Amino acid sequence: MFATDDTIVAIATPPGPGGVGIVRVSGPGAIGIAGRILSTSSRLAPRRATLTNALDPVDRRPLDRVLATYFPGPRSYTGEDVVEVSGHGSPVILRQIVTAATAAGARLAEPGEFTLRAFLRGRLDLVQAEAVHDLVTAVTPRQARVAFDQLEGTATAAIGALDRVLFDLVARLEASLDFPDEGYHFIDARAAGVEAASLAARVHDLIVSAQRGRLIRDGCQVAVAGRPNVGKSSLFNQLCGVQRAIVAGAAGTTRDLVTETVDLGGIPVTLVDTAGIRTTTEEVEAEGVRRARAAVDVAAAVIVVLDRSRPLDADDWALLEETAGRPRLVVVNKRDLRAAWSPAVEPRMAACGPVLETCLIDGSAATAIRGALLQVLEGGTPIRDTPAISNVRHIDLLGRAERALRRASAAAAGGASEELVLADLEEARRALEEISGKRTPDAVLERIFEQFCIGK
Amino acid sequence: MESRFDVIVIGAGHAGVEAARAAARMGCRVAICTLSEATVAHMPCNPAIGGTAKGHLVREIDALGGLMGEAIDATGIQFKLLNRSRGPAVRSPRAQADKRRYGAWVAEALCREERITWVVCRVGGVLVRHGRVLGVDLETAGGEAGGETLHARAVVVTTGTFLNGLVHVGRRRTPAGRAGEPPSQRLAESLKALGLPWGRLKTGTPPRLHRRSIRFERLERALGDEQPVPFSFMTGRIDRRQIECHQMHTTERVHEIVRANIQRSPLYNGQIEGIGPRYCPSLEDKVMRFPHHERHQIFLEPEGVDADEVYVNGYSMSLPVEVQESLVHALPGLEDAEMMRPGYAVEYDFVQPTALSRSYEAKDVAGLFLAGQVNGTSGYEEAAGQGVLAGINAARAVACEEPFVLGRDEAYLGVLADDLTTRGCLEPYRMFTSRAEYRLLLRIDNADLRLTERGREVGLVDDRRWARFQDRRSRFEENARRVARTTVTLADGNRARASQALRRPDVELEWLARGNELRLEVAPGEEREDLWSVETHFKYAGYLERQEATIERARRLEHRRIPASFSYSSLPGLSREIAERLTETRPDTLGQALRIPGVTPAAVALIGAKVSA
Ligand SMILES: Cc1cc2nc3c(=O)[nH]c(=O)nc-3n(C[C@H](O)[C@H](O)[C@H](O)COP(=O)(O)OP(=O)(O)OC[C@H]3O[C@@H](n4cnc5c(N)ncnc54)[C@H](O)[C@@H]3O)c2cc1C
Ligand SMILES: Nc1nc2c(ncn2[C@@H]2O[C@H](COP(=O)(O)OP(=O)(O)O)[C@@H](O)[C@H]2O)c(=O)[nH]1
Ligand SMILES: [Mg+2]
Repeated sequence: MFATDDTIVAIATPPGPGGVGIVRVSGPGAIGIAGRILSTSSRLAPRRATLTNALDPVDRRPLDRVLATYFPGPRSYTGEDVVEVSGHGSPVILRQIVTAATAAGARLAEPGEFTLRAFLRGRLDLVQAEAVHDLVTAVTPRQARVAFDQLEGTATAAIGALDRVLFDLVARLEASLDFPDEGYHFIDARAAGVEAASLAARVHDLIVSAQRGRLIRDGCQVAVAGRPNVGKSSLFNQLCGVQRAIVAGAAGTTRDLVTETVDLGGIPVTLVDTAGIRTTTEEVEAEGVRRARAAVDVAAAVIVVLDRSRPLDADDWALLEETAGRPRLVVVNKRDLRAAWSPAVEPRMAACGPVLETCLIDGSAATAIRGALLQVLEGGTPIRDTPAISNVRHIDLLGRAERALRRASAAAAGGASEELVLADLEEARRALEEISGKRTPDAVLERIFEQFCIGK
Repeated sequence: MESRFDVIVIGAGHAGVEAARAAARMGCRVAICTLSEATVAHMPCNPAIGGTAKGHLVREIDALGGLMGEAIDATGIQFKLLNRSRGPAVRSPRAQADKRRYGAWVAEALCREERITWVVCRVGGVLVRHGRVLGVDLETAGGEAGGETLHARAVVVTTGTFLNGLVHVGRRRTPAGRAGEPPSQRLAESLKALGLPWGRLKTGTPPRLHRRSIRFERLERALGDEQPVPFSFMTGRIDRRQIECHQMHTTERVHEIVRANIQRSPLYNGQIEGIGPRYCPSLEDKVMRFPHHERHQIFLEPEGVDADEVYVNGYSMSLPVEVQESLVHALPGLEDAEMMRPGYAVEYDFVQPTALSRSYEAKDVAGLFLAGQVNGTSGYEEAAGQGVLAGINAARAVACEEPFVLGRDEAYLGVLADDLTTRGCLEPYRMFTSRAEYRLLLRIDNADLRLTERGREVGLVDDRRWARFQDRRSRFEENARRVARTTVTLADGNRARASQALRRPDVELEWLARGNELRLEVAPGEEREDLWSVETHFKYAGYLERQEATIERARRLEHRRIPASFSYSSLPGLSREIAERLTETRPDTLGQALRIPGVTPAAVALIGAKVSA
């Protein structure tokens, strides 16, 4: 682990040319270093932008006309003394300013180190710290939006709201155990069970929205599968917007997996084109089929491509069977050719979920496919509200909380006494508190004493 | 008088008597110093032992071989098992004591210990050289400095509320440890000079009424259990006749009087600085802080079978005497009650226990132990619990043995020591079951199974107790085996393994054992204990299995030791505030560090990285 008490510097704006670029210096030496790399003679006034020049520390030659702002700790982003120098955004000049700062005694920051310091100094809670990381590495616009909301505390607020209700419940149950002869009726175990169940449902909702959030954050894999020559590679290329996979009239052209990541309505989707799945004895092709099956197995969703110009055969049905029950889009291709069958009259197609008929010779079907695929990924409900939580660790903890809450409510309904209901409620509370990194051992008692007049 | 001892205990309150007896039983020659022989194991407040979590402490003290359990079983006058309708983990015994007999019983028990010498004298200072305790200086009979010097390898300070004690009744302030007992000022200054950190706390007590002046017939009776559940594992049945208490509520008239006179209360006119316990609010606080409460509960508790004094539980106050009189007379049934003693508040100095290690030894003074209310706690049971462990550890220090520390997953006594020394006291500390994260494990039914062997190892459990315990443990183990391998028929006709059936809330072991399928071993007179411990063992099994993983994780942190010399201020990444907290507390392990208020998991991760590097 690197030192966290020295002064660090880095370009704080994303790489690449832009309008303005910011160099951030943080640590006990920030103001001293600023004095050496800026041309102002007077000390920077706190929290006010000063127009000045950035200088080359060696020959004192001006590097750029800059605005410099001093944020004294602890009321700064990192909680330490921070100086931000915004220059004209040319990467070359920004790098020279950073070099000037290191020459003046700063150390080049590691990735995420500003955020780490903010966290260590209590400026951010864990959720926010993780959100900053997500924001910085966001690729698609909607991803950035989710990460940003999390930074602003949407996640903390959503979990905090649940935690407050749970906390209150725990406090009342604890009070009934520790103060049995106070003449108070705090709450009975059965009523607590009902509350626990409703909390479990709320946590569940949060998880569902979080899983969508996770789609947005981490993206997902979608496999394109079907018999050879049905048009899989054609579909793949159209979704990618480039000729990535070879499209050929000869069956069995695609032998290995071809992948490409595309932005699908804000979700980074990794498309996987696969070899045609069919029964074969040829060794290379058989390996391709194995890999295709594996890709289908791990994908978050599958696009099954069928050819309308030829009758469905056993391989088609086998694939439909294998992928039944999974998030799936069925594309019935080559609608420009004479139909050998039709999904409308094929009775077994009725149970196959969303079916889209396409012609993939030109790009006309791409938009329809994107729309249908997005719906499959979102599980039917479009992502309207911004999901609050998109971090895998948080989803795990929420899952733990939900399971514990369900156990608590079942125990209470079965007539278990308070201390057992509490064992599970406490576990749920620990899980929720782990998300925001907060933990106060006396909090429950505090709450009881503040709410109730207890003791003799 | 002999002036050389192994251990000197200052104070003969609930902490002092346990410490002295434990050290003596472990082979030490012990001097116990007290201001008066008449106040040994005295109850200056509520004449009762036990209650939620406190009852657990008493059971654990008993399981280790301490005194308190047998003392209350011998002198209790009304017994009640609290939380009877709830699960076994939170059931806790409570008993009204015959206050005078309780003290006399304990004093006699100590007098039977040959290695204990009584010193009725005020200690004026602790002698320390080169960071090591040498003994104590007594004051002269006239209360001056310069009395005799007693030498010892270990000194246990258990002076309760006496250090710079100040009693308040209305505007009247009297230096006193308790009403009518002069305080210890010289000793307080001597301890401060050792560099121990200090704080000031406050507590209070209600007025006492004359029994014959109360119209009991107008009050609601409050009875104990028909069949008392004893505190001690050594007690069989308790067949003593039990007394009755009475119950009433405050009235609007009472609240009016309090509001009208609030400026005359030292609590509200700025006269008292010490912080009082929120779980034991004075009448002034009840009325002022909870104005929306129409009434508060009050119990009248006799202080003994034939004592005249009746304790007014729930009516603690420090208003001027004449206001107290009118407050008493405002209660229905007490119109003509005679107030024998007014209530009062007492402020006192305490040592911030973060200066102690979990064996109750001062971190910077070898051989100096502190236990009881002097550590910021409140309550007889909390005091006694610390006393036993401080006594054990003083004896071990004399014998140059490793400290004896109980974990948070082993006993409430472990939770107590860890809370005090890790987090210190911001208000008087009282035990609650919610403070124990492994509450389901720390039950009254298994206190002996958890602790008696530990008590035997350190030499506190005598042969009689050990023999009785071994019998009980083998019955428990045999019964557990039988339950595990027997299939029984349930009320609905279905068959199930007894061990599984017991996990249901409505299935009781006694019921299962009534059929022919499951036979259990029980000792006459101990049927209830025998059944309870087996039943609970299986009832909680599912929860305990789940908790085991958490305990294991915590234990790993608990086993990562931090060297005593560890320098937090030079650890990069720690905020100054956190570094200061850690430097002050000097936690033994990463687990303890994580429990210090304000110390973040990130900070502990940083320390962990450094410690293992
Ligand atoms: C007014 C009052 C109200 C209380 N109210 C409550 C309550 O509502 N609830 C509750 O749980 N607890 C209450 N307590 C606290 C409870 O009484 C104590 O926590 C418990 O008795 C402390 O035991 P101890 O052994 O630490 O000290 P104590 O029982 O106070 O014993 C102190 C001993 O030290 C001796 N001593 C002191 N100084 C010297 C010296 N210099 N030399 C030699 N001997 C010395 C004394 O003689 C005495 O034997 C109250 C206490 C008081 C005084
Ligand atoms: N007529 C027609 N031909 C198509 C259509 N989609 C793909 N093809 C052709 O079918 C052949 C196989 O296409 P390809 O995408 O390589 O199929 P794959 O083997 O499933 O990857 C190519 O010659 C394509 O030009 C369609 O909608 N209509
Ligand atoms: Mg192909």
